Amino acid sequence: MGNSGALAGSSLLRISVPAALALAETACTARDEAHAYQTLTSAEARELDAISARILPTTDTPGAREAGVVYFFDTVLGDQFAGQLGGFRALMGQFLGGIEGRFAGAKMFSDLNETDQDAYLTDHDKTPFFGMLHAFTMMGFFAMSSYGGNKDNIGWKLIGFDGRGAAQPPFGYYDAQYMQGERDDD
Amino acid sequence: MTTENQVEYALDKPVDFVIVGSGSAGGILAKELSTGGFSVVVLEQGPFREAKDFSHDEFDVFMMSELSGGAAHPDNQTFRDDESKVAEIQRTQGPAPAMYAPGVGGASVHFSANFWRLREIDFNERSVLGAISGTNFADWPITYDELEPYYTKVDWEIGVSGAPGPFDSPRSKPFPVPPLPIKSSGALLEKGAKALGLHAQAAPMAILSKPHNGRPACINCGYCMGFGCEVGAKSSTLAAMIPQAQASGNCEIRANCAVYELATGTNGKMSEVLYIDPQGNQRAQQARAVIVAANGAETPRLLLNSANAAHPDGLANSSGFVGRNLMYNSHANLSCTFEHPLNDYKGVQCTRIVHDYYESDPARGFYGGGGFDARPFLHATPIMYALLGQPPGTKQWGTEFKDQLAHNFNHQMTISCGATSLPLDRNNITIDPTLKDPWGRPSLRVTYRDHDDDLATARFLQSVAEEVVDAAGAIQQWSHEVEPQRGGPHLLGTCRLGNDPQTSVVDRYHRSHDISNLFICDGSSMVTSGRGQPTMTIMALAFRAAEHIAAAARANEI
Repeated sequence: MGNSGALAGSSLLRISVPAALALAETACTARDEAHAYQTLTSAEARELDAISARILPTTDTPGAREAGVVYFFDTVLGDQFAGQLGGFRALMGQFLGGIEGRFAGAKMFSDLNETDQDAYLTDHDKTPFFGMLHAFTMMGFFAMSSYGGNKDNIGWKLIGFDGRGAAQPPFGYYDAQYMQGERDDD
Repeated sequence: MTTENQVEYALDKPVDFVIVGSGSAGGILAKELSTGGFSVVVLEQGPFREAKDFSHDEFDVFMMSELSGGAAHPDNQTFRDDESKVAEIQRTQGPAPAMYAPGVGGASVHFSANFWRLREIDFNERSVLGAISGTNFADWPITYDELEPYYTKVDWEIGVSGAPGPFDSPRSKPFPVPPLPIKSSGALLEKGAKALGLHAQAAPMAILSKPHNGRPACINCGYCMGFGCEVGAKSSTLAAMIPQAQASGNCEIRANCAVYELATGTNGKMSEVLYIDPQGNQRAQQARAVIVAANGAETPRLLLNSANAAHPDGLANSSGFVGRNLMYNSHANLSCTFEHPLNDYKGVQCTRIVHDYYESDPARGFYGGGGFDARPFLHATPIMYALLGQPPGTKQWGTEFKDQLAHNFNHQMTISCGATSLPLDRNNITIDPTLKDPWGRPSLRVTYRDHDDDLATARFLQSVAEEVVDAAGAIQQWSHEVEPQRGGPHLLGTCRLGNDPQTSVVDRYHRSHDISNLFICDGSSMVTSGRGQPTMTIMALAFRAAEHIAAAARANEI
């Protein structure tokens, strides 16, 4: 994956937009065609998708689910974070293990309605599992889409990051105002 | 050209100089000495990247620490805040105890490129203010005037954008290129400062605003802090010095070579440098003289790890000052949001700085001074922003969190305060008694606890920053409490310059007091810490050292 990043970065000067789009398209096509996960089981993926969807919920704008952060988890837990996979699974088991005793008839996080999901998360948002998944969700939402998440740059669009890799002043409101003031002084 | 066309020197024939490290100091020394006609071998423990290797891949660069040595402190360095404790590997988030960047160009590749000169007062502050008990506070053996020509050499040869500020010490030549375009953070800092009667000035930056020396101008991509510059506008030694060194035909750069010992011969002088090559073989390069420029942590580690029968406490260490007086610079930050978009992720980090509180003022009741700037800081890129750029105490998930994320990214900036650190015996680099790094070299051990005055200075600047952003119209502001630091990238003071061999490691020309053909030049040379942006001074010292070392070599005095 380091290579794909270097590839995108090196080309940013001249052909940044087409190159980045090409990478994103490749990643998205691959994802849409084959839903098989490389690292996670389908059951694990379902739970992680459900939890991350409460961290960055779908509102009037897309959230973690639409950005496909679970595909990012699948990528990096099999590669850059492979060393953490075992620990992550153990923590996830502990997290899920408390659900049955708390909610009658439910075993999995994905079995709960959103209100119960949020209630359960509220009780667990100081746990190491939540800390890890929160960090992974932010990475999956905002890393280059070549890692599997941030589909169609959903994360970047949400915060107003253009990702173009070059800019011309004025950059924002206050420098534009400043330059206007300087011109008025002349 | 990386390495394929460069000169190759034999191991068993002494080259004029072996330079350990290729960063801010080593890169300049390599260029100056090789273009001066001397044969030079540079041993660099990290890789030889080129501009085309630098990406905007935030996950790779920040999360996997691609430019700073790989994820999670693989060199097993340890930390403690008091020498009575056992130092441990830091498992928590935050900078490494000694944060540096293996690779040709060192940290000048990925730094933010703030390029403040020291001022006259930095060199004689001890004489002006008097002694501070319990510290090794001292004057430098050189003055600002002696270093000024070399600051100017850095401006022009390395490439610095800027304009003179109201408090700057005199300069002999103007900046080669004008300041970079002002950003909203700079405009807001200037507005707030003005309202309080303070003076914002254009930030001097080692990033080109116009083409200079055959290198292009900045494209305002915003990937500065933590990233390498793919266009070569950032004035790293990789971009500005290394190509000239290699083109001289007198400089061989050996990347991925980890030096583990400096060996002395029967005459007591340096004879060869022992290292592990990229294939894992032990090698020894003979040299007429050795220059250590490995940074303020790796330099003392190497000198201490090179102890032998003739030098039982480590090389160049008859004073006991090798590794002592580590200074991180003290720091404070303050983040805030404004009504309209700043889009501060675009462009270089800093465009305005405030230096009104640079000098120590006895009326404040403690020693210290510093400056502050406005910048996106670590929140210039989306992942770091999401992880580190949120107001403390706010819920980190759910609809409100998502709305906050969505809104603040373009409306937020940070005031970054950098200030003095006092040189103390208790803050030091030593060798860990048990751990080794992946090459088998005994690990770095950092012992550090900020002086109370340094913490007070950082808190003072933070309180000024609160007033400044208020005056600039901030809607919301938050800060993290100033606490004793447990790591950092400024590694200063650990082999200080001085005239007295009892209280310094190298003389005013960077020659070690103990061994005549051993020179040391990098952040470790600094006697005091400056106010938080040391690289400009490290580079100026390297240009000056190179001139004197070359003269000594020509006079057969090495």
